[in-house]
Amino acid sequence: MKYRPLPAIVVIFAPVISALATDTTPAPPSQPPLDHRFLAAHCLKCHAEGVEDAAVRLDDLPAAITTVEAAERWQKVLNVLNSGEMPAEDEPQPEAAAKTEFLATLSQALATARRTIGDQGRIATLRRLNRREYKNTLRVWLDIDIDVSSLPDDKGGGPFDTIGSSLFMSSDQFEQYLALGRKAAGTAVARWREAGGAPPPRQTIRTEVEVAARRKVAGVLNGYFLGGYRMARAWQAAGADPAKAKDFGLPDDVEAKFRIRQYEIHGPYLGQFLAAPKSDEGAWLMWARGHYDTETITIPADAPPGDYLLRLRIAGNDKVPASRRFLEMGIPKSADDFALLQVFQITGSLGRPETLEIPVTITADGPRSFAFREKRHADPTAVGFASNMANVTNGVGLDFSMWIDWVEWQGPVPDPEMASRSLDLFGVSFPEEGDATTARGILAHFATQAFRGVQPQADYLDGLVGVFEGQRAAGKSFPEAIIEPLAVILASPAFLYLNEPLSPPAGDPAAAAADSDRSLSDLELAARLSYFLWAAPPDAELIAAAANGSLRTPATLAQQTERLIADPRSFELAKGFTHQWLSIDRLDFFRFDSQLHPDFDEPTREAAKHEVYHTFHTLLNDNLDARSLLKSDFVVVNGLLATYYELQDVTDPAKPKPIIGSAFRKVPVPAGSPRGGLVGMAAILGMGSNGERTSPVERGAWVLRKLLNDPPPDAPPNVPQLSRLDSQKISTRERLRMHQEEPQCAQCHRVIDPIGFGLENFDASGKWRTEEHAYRMGWVLEVGERKVHGKVVAASFPIDPAGAFYNGPSFKDYFELRDRIAARGDDFLRGLIENLYAYALGRPVSFADADTIDALVAQAKADGGRLAAIIQAIVATPEFQTK
Amino acid sequence: MPIPRRTILRATGTALALPFLPSLSWRRFAAAAAPATPPKRMVFLSFGWGVTNETWFPDKTKTGADYPLSDGLAPLERHKNKITVIQGLSNKFAADAHWGSTFYLTGANRYALPGSSFSNSISADQVAAEQFGRHTRFTSLQLTSKDADQSGHGPGLSLAWNRQGKPIAGVDTPLAAYQKLFGDETLPLADRERMLKEQRSVLDAVLAQAKAIDKTLSKRDKDKLDEYFQSIREIETRLAKEESWMTTPKPKPPLDAPGESLVGEEEVRLMYDLLVAAFQTDSTRVVTYRQPMANLIKSMGITVAPHDMSHYTPGERMAASQRRDKKQSELLASLLDRLEAVKEADGSSLLDNVCLAYGSNIRSIHYLDNCPTVIAGGGAGISHGRHVVLEAKQTPLANLWLTLLQGVGIEIDTFGDSTGPLGTLTA
Repeated sequence: MKYRPLPAIVVIFAPVISALATDTTPAPPSQPPLDHRFLAAHCLKCHAEGVEDAAVRLDDLPAAITTVEAAERWQKVLNVLNSGEMPAEDEPQPEAAAKTEFLATLSQALATARRTIGDQGRIATLRRLNRREYKNTLRVWLDIDIDVSSLPDDKGGGPFDTIGSSLFMSSDQFEQYLALGRKAAGTAVARWREAGGAPPPRQTIRTEVEVAARRKVAGVLNGYFLGGYRMARAWQAAGADPAKAKDFGLPDDVEAKFRIRQYEIHGPYLGQFLAAPKSDEGAWLMWARGHYDTETITIPADAPPGDYLLRLRIAGNDKVPASRRFLEMGIPKSADDFALLQVFQITGSLGRPETLEIPVTITADGPRSFAFREKRHADPTAVGFASNMANVTNGVGLDFSMWIDWVEWQGPVPDPEMASRSLDLFGVSFPEEGDATTARGILAHFATQAFRGVQPQADYLDGLVGVFEGQRAAGKSFPEAIIEPLAVILASPAFLYLNEPLSPPAGDPAAAAADSDRSLSDLELAARLSYFLWAAPPDAELIAAAANGSLRTPATLAQQTERLIADPRSFELAKGFTHQWLSIDRLDFFRFDSQLHPDFDEPTREAAKHEVYHTFHTLLNDNLDARSLLKSDFVVVNGLLATYYELQDVTDPAKPKPIIGSAFRKVPVPAGSPRGGLVGMAAILGMGSNGERTSPVERGAWVLRKLLNDPPPDAPPNVPQLSRLDSQKISTRERLRMHQEEPQCAQCHRVIDPIGFGLENFDASGKWRTEEHAYRMGWVLEVGERKVHGKVVAASFPIDPAGAFYNGPSFKDYFELRDRIAARGDDFLRGLIENLYAYALGRPVSFADADTIDALVAQAKADGGRLAAIIQAIVATPEFQTK
Repeated sequence: MPIPRRTILRATGTALALPFLPSLSWRRFAAAAAPATPPKRMVFLSFGWGVTNETWFPDKTKTGADYPLSDGLAPLERHKNKITVIQGLSNKFAADAHWGSTFYLTGANRYALPGSSFSNSISADQVAAEQFGRHTRFTSLQLTSKDADQSGHGPGLSLAWNRQGKPIAGVDTPLAAYQKLFGDETLPLADRERMLKEQRSVLDAVLAQAKAIDKTLSKRDKDKLDEYFQSIREIETRLAKEESWMTTPKPKPPLDAPGESLVGEEEVRLMYDLLVAAFQTDSTRVVTYRQPMANLIKSMGITVAPHDMSHYTPGERMAASQRRDKKQSELLASLLDRLEAVKEADGSSLLDNVCLAYGSNIRSIHYLDNCPTVIAGGGAGISHGRHVVLEAKQTPLANLWLTLLQGVGIEIDTFGDSTGPLGTLTA
C-alpha cells in the first residue's frame, strides 16, 4: 500500500461543507485602483466633454471595470498607450516611471476584469468527451485503439480540454463520430465472430538480415562505386582526355571525376560495413542514409488483423558512446517522415546479443510496416552533417553502433480473453443469424455500457432497431447489419456527453435533492471520478460501488479514489493534466537546430516530455509533496534521459550505477547537480527557447505563470518591437536590456526577465553551460578563432545568472534562484490546486470557489503538500460531487 | 418526408436561426437553365502570422491609381489594374496576437458573452452563403490545411463561423476537396435513395435521445446541447439538399485528381485550382481558404519556425518572411490568372464575376492594426487599380465586408461592428 486513505478528510472538510451550505458567495477580487490623476494629467485636456476631440471621452470612464463595455473603453486606453500613439507627439509626454506604473496597474486591472466578467460561476457546463477521452474510452472499454486525428483536438478554447463550455460540436464532427464508430463497431463485431470460431493459424517468419543488406551494400560498392571508380581511373591513367571519356564507358569528364570522389568518400564506409566483425552472420546498422540505415519488419497483407510480436536479436558496439546505442522504432511514411513509436536502449554485446520482443496490433487499415534505425534527428541534414564530420576526422564515417542478427514476426497471438470480452460487450455469444428482438437485446446491452451504466430508453432503442432493419432490408447479413446501429450508439449524446441532467434520472435515490445545485447521482459521480483520474469510463468495480450506493460514503469514495490512482490508467491524468497545465505543447512549436543541439533529437524530446508526466505520476503514486516539482533531490528518468543528463544512479554513492532501459524510475540526484525540479528539466527549458537560442522572456513568464501563480498579462498586441540591437554580437542578457528602456516594455519585463536570466546556464536544449556563443557565417577559421558545434564562434560571453525578483529577494546563481522559487511553495500549491480543480470539475475556477480553494490550500499545507492527498481532498469537496 | 422531420426539430424547442428552405425550391433552382448573367461568387483567403511590415505595404504617401507596388506585392504587377490594396482596416476587438484568422471575417469581441471566455459571430462568407448557397450543390466550401495549429490562425476549424458563432469544419487536403466536389457516385439511384433513408433513420435515432435528454437540462446545458441539435439539423438540411440534387449528376471534373501527400506550395496551387473548378462547375459560389503557412515555408526550404519568422529581425528571419510574402503574392497572381482564363457563358471572365479578398487579422509580428488587405475581381463593383489609404486609421474590417457583401447583391445594412460601407471603393 503506497499511501493511506485519509479518514481525516471528512473532519477537516466539515467547515467547507458548511460554507457552501450557507451559500456565501465571496465577492470577486478587487481590481487594483486605477490612477485617475494620470488620466487627468495626460488625457483629459483633449478627451473630455466639450473639448476638441470629444469623440473619445475619457472623463466619464468608470473607475471600476465591471462590464464588457467598460473593459473595451479601458482596453483602448491601454492600446494607444502601448502603441505609443497617445499622448499625441506634440503634447507633453508622461514621465517614464509614471507611465510604467500606470500601464502595469491598468494591464493587471484589465486582466482581473476579464476574469470577473467571464466568470461562469460554479455551474459546470454539460461536457462532451474530448478527443483524448473519446479515444481512451474506446481503448479501455472496447480494447480498440483508433486513429482520432479526424476529430478536432479540443485544445483551442480554454485552459483545459475538460472545460465543458469550450467543447464544441459540429455537423462534420458528428459524421466523424459515426465514421469512427463504424470502424470500432466493425472491429468489435469481427472479434466477436472470431471468438466463436477456430483461431487463425499462427505464423513465425524469421529473416536473416545480412543476406539482403550485404547484397545491397556490396552491389553498390562493387558496381557503382568501385566499378565506376575503376573506369574513371583507367580514363585518368590514359591521359584524362575529356573527349575520350566515352571510350571508357563514362558519360563525360565531370562524371568521371565525380565517380572518383564518390568512391573515395563513401567507398571506405561501405567497405567497412562489409568487413566489420560478424557481418557474415548479421548486419551493422549504418548511420548514413540510403544503404542499410533502416531495418524494416513488414507483416504481409494476407496475415489477418490481430496481435503480433516483433522480435529482433541485436547487440550494441561498446566502443561508441552510450548515447548512440539507442534504437528507434517508427512507421516510415516517406523518406523524410518517420512517425516515431518508441525507443530501445541496446545493452547486449556482440558476445551476448539481446532479443527485443515488441507487441504490435495490426488493424484492418492500419500500418503493417515497422522500421528500426539508430535514434536521430528527423532533420536529414543532421545525419549528413554528423557523417561528414566523422569522415573528415577518420576518412571513413561514423562507427557502427548496433548490429542485428535477425528479425522476425509472429502471430496472430491468440487472445484468450477475446471470447469473454465479447460476451461482456454484447451479452450473448456470436449469432450468425437473428431477428429484430435479438438485435434489440444486443443493442440495449451495448448501449448501457456506452452510457456508463444508464439504460437506454425504449423509443431510442426503437430507432436503433429501425436502423438495423433498414440494413437488413438492404440485404446485409445479421452481423453486418448490427454494425450501423452500434456505430449510432457511439455517436449518441448519452455516450458523447457526460450527461448530468438538472433532475437526476428517475428512480435515483438522490432525486429528493433535485435543484440546480443537486448532488450527482451515484453513476454520475463514478463517471466524473474515472474521467478525472483516468480520462476513461468507470470500470466494473466502480460501477458496482455506484450501483450499491456505497460510492457516496466518504470511506468508499476515498478508497475508490485511492484504487484508481494506484491503477496504471492514472498516468492519463498525469499526462493529460501536466501537458496542458504546464503548456508543454510549446515544445513542439519549433524544430530544434540539429547542429547546435545534436543530442536533442525527436526521441530525446519525447523522453523529456515524459519526464514531466512521469515525475507527476510518481508524486501521485507515492503520495509525495507536490512542491518537490519546484526542487527535489531526485529525478524520474529513463536510460535515454539519464544519458542525456549524464546522470548515474547514486543510491549508493560509493558505487554509482548506470541507469538503463526505457522505463522511467525515481533515482536520487548527485550533490551539485542542477537537475531536480521542473526548472531543471529539458522539456521546460527547451520550451523556453526557439529551438536555437534561449528565450529568457518565455522562461521567466513561464515560471511566474506556472510556478509562482503570479501570471504576467498576456503579450499585448501593437507594442513596437525593439530590434535596434538584433544584428549585434552581444549576449542575450545584453540584448534584452532594451526591455527596460521603454515604459510599455518595462512594466512587464522588469518582472519577467530577471528570472529568465537566472536560467541562462541552460542552453536551448536544457544542457548546462557556462558561456554562450554568437556565431558568424562561414566555415574557414581566422587566426585565434574556434568552432563550436561546427560553427565559427564570433564572440563568447560568460553567463551571468545573478539577479533579483522584482521588488523581491536577490539570487546569485541558478541554484539560489531555484531555492527562491522553492521558497514560494504555498503560491505554487495554490496554482496547482486551482488548476487541478478546474480540470476535475470541467469548468474554470469561479470567484465563488474562493472559500473552497482556500480550504484546499490550507489542507494541503497542513498535509505536507502530498499530491494524492490533494486529489483526495478535491474529490471530497461538495463541488466535485455536485452538478 | 422533410416536413414531419422539421416538426421533430421544432419540438426540441431550440432556437434554430438558419432559414429553412423546402427542398422543392431547390429542385426548382437545380432544374433551372443556366442563368443568362453569370452568378456572383465570393472567395476569402487568409494567411496566419501576417506579412513583413517594411516591404509588403505600398508607400502610404502614394495613393490612387498611380502608385508603385511594394516589393512583397511585386508578383501581382500584371494584375495591378485589377486589384486594390487597402490600408487602415482593423478589427477593433482583436487582442490575441497569434490569432490571424479566428475573427478575421467576423470582427467579433471574444469577451462579448459574460460568463464565457470565448465567443464569436457569423463570418462574412456565411452571410453570402445563406443566399448564394440556395443555387448550388454545396452551400459553401471551406478549405483549410493540416498545419493550421502552427500557422498563426488561432482557434477555429476554418475561416467560416455559423450564425451561432460556432466553427464550421473545413476540408484540409486537395484530395479531400476534389472528392467532395467531383467524387463520382457509382451507386445506382435506388441505392442512393435507400442510403439517404438510412442516414435519416440514424438521425432520427439520435434525435430521439437528444430530445429526451434536453428536457432534463438546465438552461446553460440546453444551450450546449443545442450545438448537437444544430449539427444534426445541418446534416438534415444537407440531406434534403442532396435529395433534391440526387438526379443531377456531379459535374465532370475539369482537372485530374490531386496526389495524396501534397504539402506547402503545391498544396496551395491545387487548392486554388480546385476553387476555380468549384466556381467553374457552379458547385458552390462561396469559398474560404485558411492557408497553410508552416508547410508553405517548409516547402520553400525555409528552416526557420513559422512563429519565429513572424518575429523577424534583420537577417535570416526577415529574409524568410520576405520570401514568404513574395511566394504568397506569386500564388495569388497565378490564381487571378486562372480566374481570368475561365470564360463565362456571356463571354465575361470568371474574375469579372468573382469578389476576392486576401489578407490576415495580423499585420506583422504582434501588430493587429492595419490588417494587410488586397481585394480583386469584378463581382462587387469595386473600382480597382488603386492604393487606398483610409483616413480613419481604425476603420473596421467589417466595413469592407459590408461593402463587398452589398456589392455582390446581399441586402444588408450592417455586418458585425460595421459603421457603414466604404464608399471610396466604389467611387
